Amino acid sequence: MLTAEQNDELTDFAPGTPMGELLRRYWYPVAFTRELEEFPVKATRLLGEDFALYKTANGRYGIVPEACPHRRASLAYGIVETDGIRCPYHGWLFGIDGECLEQPAEREETMFRDRVRAKAGKVQELGGLVWAYVGPDPAPELPRFDVFVMDGVRDIGWADLPCNLIQIMENAVDPHHVEFLHGRYFEFMGRQQGFDAPASFGKKHVKVGFDAFEWGIIKRRVVEGATEEDDDWKVGHPLVFPYNMRVGGANIEQMQIRVPIDRYTTRFMLYSVHAPAGIAYPEQAQVPDYNIPVFDEHGRHRTDYVEGQDIMAWVTQGKITDRTVEHLGRSDVGVTMLRRMYKQQMARVAAGQDPLGTIREPRDRIDLPCEKNKFHAGASFALDFIEMASSRFSPQKDALKKLHIEAAENRESGVSV
Amino acid sequence: MTAASDSPAADVGRGWFPADAELHRRDAPKFCPACAQPLTKATGGAGIATEYWVASDRVFVCFCAACGWSGDVVLSTRVTGHEAEH
Repeated sequence: MLTAEQNDELTDFAPGTPMGELLRRYWYPVAFTRELEEFPVKATRLLGEDFALYKTANGRYGIVPEACPHRRASLAYGIVETDGIRCPYHGWLFGIDGECLEQPAEREETMFRDRVRAKAGKVQELGGLVWAYVGPDPAPELPRFDVFVMDGVRDIGWADLPCNLIQIMENAVDPHHVEFLHGRYFEFMGRQQGFDAPASFGKKHVKVGFDAFEWGIIKRRVVEGATEEDDDWKVGHPLVFPYNMRVGGANIEQMQIRVPIDRYTTRFMLYSVHAPAGIAYPEQAQVPDYNIPVFDEHGRHRTDYVEGQDIMAWVTQGKITDRTVEHLGRSDVGVTMLRRMYKQQMARVAAGQDPLGTIREPRDRIDLPCEKNKFHAGASFALDFIEMASSRFSPQKDALKKLHIEAAENRESGVSV
Repeated sequence: MTAASDSPAADVGRGWFPADAELHRRDAPKFCPACAQPLTKATGGAGIATEYWVASDRVFVCFCAACGWSGDVVLSTRVTGHEAEH
């Protein structure tokens, strides 16, 4: 339970607020790489602010506030040029760093353009996604987490959800929900709708644990039939502060990305890399992205797949869950730890320090701890995951299943690739 | 939807559990046990106190932004020698 003002502070991402200042210290994926290849400029919204994101013909990316500093027409309808983006209204041209390069209707000798600047952010491409940083300079390095740089077959499901980021992140430090939301509830839905829910999610949690580490919080669990020697406890998987969760198992590596579009909207992205040993991966000219369903034709939540169940739980809490009327128990200690971590990092930013997980030295690859044998379920987890989780909506679902089956057969028969 | 924060007691009297919200506001630690600075926003601090329950115990998970202290403050109705199976 929190007071109303604490809840407001935790969930308000506006510029100048403690949480807004904290969250503006990180890079976020704001587009799929293919989008700017299809059309070189798009509108994007991040942390409650609107931006124009663009890519020049020579491959440089830029991001500026959507409203032109001149008369506030949208630069998301701008003309992308070699040096930057030009406003479609009166032709003001802004460079990659936001400097005003041209004001066609003004006399050049007045140098009025020196007085005007767009507040440009930084943009990079990584792993099929376009990432933006819109906080204060100097920008930290874009963290190259393992899933974004590893070999394998990539697949991105996504949905824009009508709720605040923080209630989604609290779910990432709540292991107990798995055995009910993805276990008993899944079985219930299966009985109602005539499908078999996967057995691996319903195992009872015997013990959960949380450790703060350099990238966030490692979540651990011991499920019935397993021990502390099993991956779920010994390795666990991390909430990657402040907006990601790294999961995986059975040769599927995944980052669950939750982008705070604004206070009431969060883009949920499931960035998966299918990387079974024993098979050569096909080339991917583009990373496939696809919308995952949130509601059915009657306006009810789709809860016949794992992430649809999570989405239902997050969204039905309300746009911003009212933490003044919640009742946390000991099984919610991960939630209390996360709230404390957000506050600790807000205090660091207020003191002029870099918050957790921002890096100043480039690193080629950042490996995150993540269990391989998920829920003590063995190899069947991969096929369960594709069939009963968001990958079932992937345009390459059948190819992914085939990839895992053939890789397993190759491993068993000793075929080397 | 969260209540507006302009009222210092915006949560009290709201929702399904007004008594719990009122007790939370009354009993949450107001000052840091380590440095005595205001702890939470309600008292002018920049830390946090999240409450959870264990049986009849009320546990406040605290962080003080002034000195960095972090710890649990427990309001107990009974002190027990051994933890029961749970």
